[in-house]
Amino acid sequence: MRIQIAHETIYRYERPASSIIQTLRLSPRNHEGQYVVSWRIQVSADCPLIGQEDAFGNLTHTFSIDSPVDELAVRVEGEVDTEDTQGVIRNAVERFPPSLFLRETPLTQLDDGIAQFAADSMSALGHDQLTRMHALLTALNQEIAFDTDPTHTATTAGEAFALRRGVCQDMTHIFIAAARSLGVPARYVSGYFHRADGVVEQEAGHAWAEAFIPDLGWVGFDATNGICATEAHLRVAVGLDYLSAAPVRGTRLGGGAEEMSIRVRVEQAQRQMQN
Amino acid sequence: MLSRTADNLYWLARYVERAEYLARILEATLRLTAVPLDAAGESNEWESAVATAGCANAFYAAYDEANEENVTDFLAFSPANPSSIRSCFEVARTNARAVRTALTMEMWDAINGTWLELKRYGNGPTSREEFSRFLRWVQESSLRFDGSAYRTMLRNDAYWFTRLGIYLERADNTARILDVKYHLLLPAQEHVGGPLDYFQWAAILRSVSALTSYHWVYRESLKPWLIADLLILKDEMPRSLASCYENIVRYLDDIGSAYGRQGPSQRLARGIRTRLQNSRMDGIFQSGLHEFIQEFIADNNRISQTVTQQYLT
Repeated sequence: MRIQIAHETIYRYERPASSIIQTLRLSPRNHEGQYVVSWRIQVSADCPLIGQEDAFGNLTHTFSIDSPVDELAVRVEGEVDTEDTQGVIRNAVERFPPSLFLRETPLTQLDDGIAQFAADSMSALGHDQLTRMHALLTALNQEIAFDTDPTHTATTAGEAFALRRGVCQDMTHIFIAAARSLGVPARYVSGYFHRADGVVEQEAGHAWAEAFIPDLGWVGFDATNGICATEAHLRVAVGLDYLSAAPVRGTRLGGGAEEMSIRVRVEQAQRQMQN
Repeated sequence: MLSRTADNLYWLARYVERAEYLARILEATLRLTAVPLDAAGESNEWESAVATAGCANAFYAAYDEANEENVTDFLAFSPANPSSIRSCFEVARTNARAVRTALTMEMWDAINGTWLELKRYGNGPTSREEFSRFLRWVQESSLRFDGSAYRTMLRNDAYWFTRLGIYLERADNTARILDVKYHLLLPAQEHVGGPLDYFQWAAILRSVSALTSYHWVYRESLKPWLIADLLILKDEMPRSLASCYENIVRYLDDIGSAYGRQGPSQRLARGIRTRLQNSRMDGIFQSGLHEFIQEFIADNNRISQTVTQQYLT
């Protein structure tokens, strides 16, 4: 399908903030089943946007603003053609061997709760990794309730799991921690999700996990929706956890309190082409 | 648009591009043969030219030896060779005549004028100087045709099929140059790089009009791995594989949008473009430059066949 994205992030500062620097991971790359037709990033300030690649191969754009501003808007607009690949990622940029993604990070640190849950979901299952990961996906999807209240961006997998509540970021972190505890390399994917129920306005982008299955490669597992990645998933950045794949990371000097609002529109493009 | 019309436009563009390419190869070869050679282990430049033009089988069936006289005759003037410069212009003009109403006046004048002037050159030049002038004229004729298409054609499917032909031919041509000369572009050289290699590298760059561009992009003396990078991965370089595929994808998308459906050509083209976008030169050298180019040539041929099946038959 052709997915159309309009993503706007607006920061409002109590007092003018200066020396803002941000790194954006908002540009999807092409791989089999995903082709970027058009993509544009606009920053409200007058400054150069420097495009680079990070260590994972994600496309990054960095900008810095020296003069004080009391409002900053980052707008992303684009169209991407996606195809269903049964969740398998092929021909993407891979800079590291899969085993790197067994590394534990503070946000995905394993605790006894998750380890036990992961082991329990595997009982009575054979050795086929794909089946095991599917079982983990289903078990997690049923166990954790979607709730935007109790967690925030710095919540660890363990904390969210103890609450049995969280948003897509938390469920993805829990999946990653659980998969790694079972010896399966897993990584964080940030991107967009086109909802089948017709809801176009979303509060944020989406996050899901990818696990490395021998003989298949990296396969997308969406713990929030309980499915493998489909043509409705638009893959933007990957990393060890939220921090290395975050859409926006930055820092500033001054500004006082910050108010951030995000608006995401994910819809199917009007003019569709038969395939 | 009738597939026959699209087919004529596509091949018209391809043959004009091919003629220009042959002229470039011959010019580069003439230049290289003027360089004093160290006989030990040196390849015959005229053999190289035949290989780069992709007609080794036909050539060696007709001639025993690859020398200046035989190769210039075969590649430039021989009516027996369907891909000689003369044949290219003849076929191009025949195609143009069949779709004259799809061409603008300037385009018809350009290709017909070229065909008429071709007769003046008869069966071949009488001197090397005349031959050089001939090669310049061939390139200028191609430029005139290409320029008139770019400047006067309506931006519709006729235009897009023409551009598609040009870029598929161009990608094939650049890949052939790389294929024949790849051993000169490997980072680990068997012969110690010296003045001869420099002439070879400069010849490769000249044949794609990139000698100055190279220094603009890299600000360094000629390095074989950078030459490979320029000709394979650099979008800015108009004859690079990456740039050709950027255009191929674009024009296939335009055709797809106009007709309301995408197909295997669009998917294949995007796949190849994605592979080029996601590659880096060190990765390509690691898995083998020669293998990479061979795979690319095969893929490019597959796209030509797929486009033919999808639109031109």
